[in-house]
Amino acid sequence: MHRFRRSAKFVSIFLIIFLSVIYMPVHSVFAAMVGTEAVLLDEEMQSTREKVRAFLDREDVRTHLTAQGIDPLEAKARVDSLSDAEIQHIADRIEQLPAGSGVLEVIVIVAVVFFLVLLILDMIGVTDVFTFINPPPKR
Amino acid sequence: MCLHSLTPLRNDSMTICRIYLYVRGILFLIGFFVSLLAGCAEFRHVKMPPLPENVPPSHELAAVPFFPQEAYQCGPAALAMALSSSGLPVKPEDLVEEVYTPSRKGSLQMAMIGACRRHGRLAYEITALDSIFPEIAAGHPVIILQNLGLSWYPLWHYAVVIGYDAAEGTVILRSGVTARKLMPFGVFEKTWARSNYWGLLVLQPTQLPAMAKEESYLAAVLGLEKARQFQASISGYTTAITRWPQSLPARMGLGNSYYAIGDLKGSERAFREAINLHPNAGAGYNNLAHVLLEQGRYSEALEAARKAVSLGGPLKATYEETFREIKSHMSQNAHEK
Repeated sequence: MHRFRRSAKFVSIFLIIFLSVIYMPVHSVFAAMVGTEAVLLDEEMQSTREKVRAFLDREDVRTHLTAQGIDPLEAKARVDSLSDAEIQHIADRIEQLPAGSGVLEVIVIVAVVFFLVLLILDMIGVTDVFTFINPPPKR
Repeated sequence: MCLHSLTPLRNDSMTICRIYLYVRGILFLIGFFVSLLAGCAEFRHVKMPPLPENVPPSHELAAVPFFPQEAYQCGPAALAMALSSSGLPVKPEDLVEEVYTPSRKGSLQMAMIGACRRHGRLAYEITALDSIFPEIAAGHPVIILQNLGLSWYPLWHYAVVIGYDAAEGTVILRSGVTARKLMPFGVFEKTWARSNYWGLLVLQPTQLPAMAKEESYLAAVLGLEKARQFQASISGYTTAITRWPQSLPARMGLGNSYYAIGDLKGSERAFREAINLHPNAGAGYNNLAHVLLEQGRYSEALEAARKAVSLGGPLKATYEETFREIKSHMSQNAHEK
């Protein structure tokens, strides 16, 4: 028990340091450097209120991604690769955004449903598609 | 008498009414089917809009590799094809972690863009039908998002457009499990329109799209900077400067990217060029001040910061902070001596 507590202490100290390093916002040496974003987007994003909003939106999107089953570190990496304008663009409507997946499954599902319907109709005796359902009487 | 004469009249009018309704119904049905057929024919045989003069009537990028998609994984497959084509050999399975959202059983556009950047590639979005064929002709395959279903029953799908043939009226895609899918232009247009013609070019940061717009290109390079791919963003901003030599954001971005990797000389050069071209750019003076301060050139730094503050603008508070910072460094330094 004692050993467990000691190792648990080590683990928790390690975790505290590790997580605070991960989540510590990366600041450049000088805080008052003007980012490219502010120049590119001119006036729109320059007010402090807009900056705060962008930060909160970023957190929202990250939380949402984590809730969607994405690893927290991966969610952070995904959000960090987007600009403030892009984050604001998706923040309020991430639920409605399309997620491309392809039609592979749909084709399979339709084929299976079609097969089952014919199978049942065969069994009832309405159709006679599959020879193995109502085999011709042997002589 | 009156009643007697009225009754057959009413019957007559009712019969006429009934016949009229029958005829109308039949006509309506015929019309419906004819228009349905015509509609089909219309979607399948729509002519391609005329191509710009310098774009050949047909072109195919046969060298673009093909990776068949696994269930729900058209995003990673399409991205792997585009990234490989840009000279970065990756497999779809390497991209699943970065792109796929399990609960949505699909890949969001933003994740596709982010993954490009995290691999040091420029993700340039297109949002118009007429920009796709010039890009193909310039050798750039385009990832597109299609809705292969209906608006109320969407089947979102990523495919890679690799060619077209204006005479045949077909578009050539790498799609799903089909290596070379020929799609009639009308169908292509209909399914692509449902994503508001969303397309993605995956380029090396030294490449320019055929129909590059300054703002879109700089936004794409900014994404590389955001993803901390500074070598790539340096190439991107340099490419932007060769194309748009007057661009202030490109030079600021170049300076910031050099600063981020600790190349103070490169950073200083970029900010100096920025203020030479745009003497009213306070941000340029402000950032130059920081680069000079970090090199220990206090008086020059203070001069630049003072200039930034005097120019003012919406970022004046930041410039004042810079000024204070340099002042405090100077007094600290004097104290130590």
